[in-house]
Amino acid sequence: MSPARRLPPAEWAVPAALAAVGAALDWATTTRPAAMPVWLPFDFSWFAWAGTVLPLWWYFRGIARMAPARRPAPWRRAVFALGMGLIWAVLQTRYLYLAEHEFFLSRIMHVVLHHLGPFLVALGLAGQPIRAAMPAPLRRLVESRQVRAALAPLMQPFVAAFLFVGLVALWLWPPVHFASMIGHRLFWVMNWSMVLDGLLFWCQVLDPRPAPPARAGYGARAAMAVGVIFPQIAIGAFIVFSRHDLYPYYNYCGRFFPDISPLYDQLVGGMVVWIPPAMMSIVALLIVLSHLRAAEDAAPRPLDPRAARMAALSARWTGR
Amino acid sequence: MKPLRPLLLALALLTTAASPWHDISVRGEVPALGFAATDAASGHTVTAADFRGRIVLLYLGYTHCPDVCPLTLHNISVVLRRLGKAAAGVRVLFVTVDPHRDTVPVLRRYVALFGPDFVGLRPDANQLARLARRYRLAYAVDPGGHGHPYTVTHSAAVYVFDRTGAARLLIPSLASTTPDLPGVTADLRRLLRGQTAEGWFGWLARWV
Repeated sequence: MSPARRLPPAEWAVPAALAAVGAALDWATTTRPAAMPVWLPFDFSWFAWAGTVLPLWWYFRGIARMAPARRPAPWRRAVFALGMGLIWAVLQTRYLYLAEHEFFLSRIMHVVLHHLGPFLVALGLAGQPIRAAMPAPLRRLVESRQVRAALAPLMQPFVAAFLFVGLVALWLWPPVHFASMIGHRLFWVMNWSMVLDGLLFWCQVLDPRPAPPARAGYGARAAMAVGVIFPQIAIGAFIVFSRHDLYPYYNYCGRFFPDISPLYDQLVGGMVVWIPPAMMSIVALLIVLSHLRAAEDAAPRPLDPRAARMAALSARWTGR
Repeated sequence: MKPLRPLLLALALLTTAASPWHDISVRGEVPALGFAATDAASGHTVTAADFRGRIVLLYLGYTHCPDVCPLTLHNISVVLRRLGKAAAGVRVLFVTVDPHRDTVPVLRRYVALFGPDFVGLRPDANQLARLARRYRLAYAVDPGGHGHPYTVTHSAAVYVFDRTGAARLLIPSLASTTPDLPGVTADLRRLLRGQTAEGWFGWLARWV
């Protein structure tokens, strides 16, 4: 191979270093679980490790390759990293153990996996930089017609909202909740289905672009954000007002806080299902409206002198 | 109605087959029996392989436990008495979560109180952490001090593994005021006979 075609060190050194750190964490969690600090993995997963560090690496590498004017703003890069970090933290650090042993902590975990984490990741506008930096075969797969065709029906606004709420309801249905908490494979399916669905939903809702190239218009996206509030309130309220223990799994396998009664744990968990997701939807609505406003401002409009004078006057209180 | 009859029959079969067990079937989802710990009787390290061929009950506790552990172990000993000779095919693993106070001699004397089929296991910190992680069991030891008592918390459930080491059942608690001892006895008999009906949910879980 000629020197000109040799891979630059970053192409292989960074992934190799990430793999080495992953192998060290894997070894440590397998052989020395009792000695692991709380911020290191409790139950190491290669999928979670690769799914976190590779997109982060691709994102920042993709940004470095983009023209400066087209790069996501620094605050977007920060919230992207924060979102990825939060998802990894609830899935891998000792928090996982807490979430396995207290209902309200498992609900906070799902708010992070399905709402907060993907929401922050979506604000990072990661699609373009990640695609620019990921390996070519993976990029071809992601951009292939088959993958797009498979995702298209899931992104139809009504279907996307139904899927979003449906997954919350499915994993909270008591027999399914029991099976997914006690079982390792179903637990894995549950958590990653929440992450992937959260990404699919929030990347669409928080997309700043107008309807083409985006799939749905601003109105439909605002309706998605608001529409998912009401079923989640109903589910949360159902749990809050239940007089009996819906989720006995936590009694069988032990609670992290034995002093918190099962019904109180359930009540707080129900509130976590009820309130923070509704608040996030309102924030999403405000963001969609600001995107709509920015798109309208960017669109060329015929200049009417009288309307322009009116606009100049109204700018004193609207700020536009 | 006639074309619907097979459907109704299938539905009836499904609902009756939904739970052939008195306890909770966890087959296919919970990992097989796997651990390493010091056996209180011999002082040597034992692993899951040493219990192949027997029905294994796995329970976490500690010998200073005032109520839950002795009650659970006593109720298990009642179940084993009800099984009669068949109890020879069962081993009860009592794993201490408080290895600091539960030394090998303490643990050996304690489990001997409940019968010959009880095995006291003393894991080290890493062995215990691995076991608890594998079976989603919570435990904590707070040595106390400064006026606070030494407190230990642990899960209430008893896992049941079959002769091959596969996880089969979860007995929610044997420390309640109304433990279902006939139900647990029937379930263990069923496992000792080697019947493998698992209910539609276990079947479903294996396909997910």
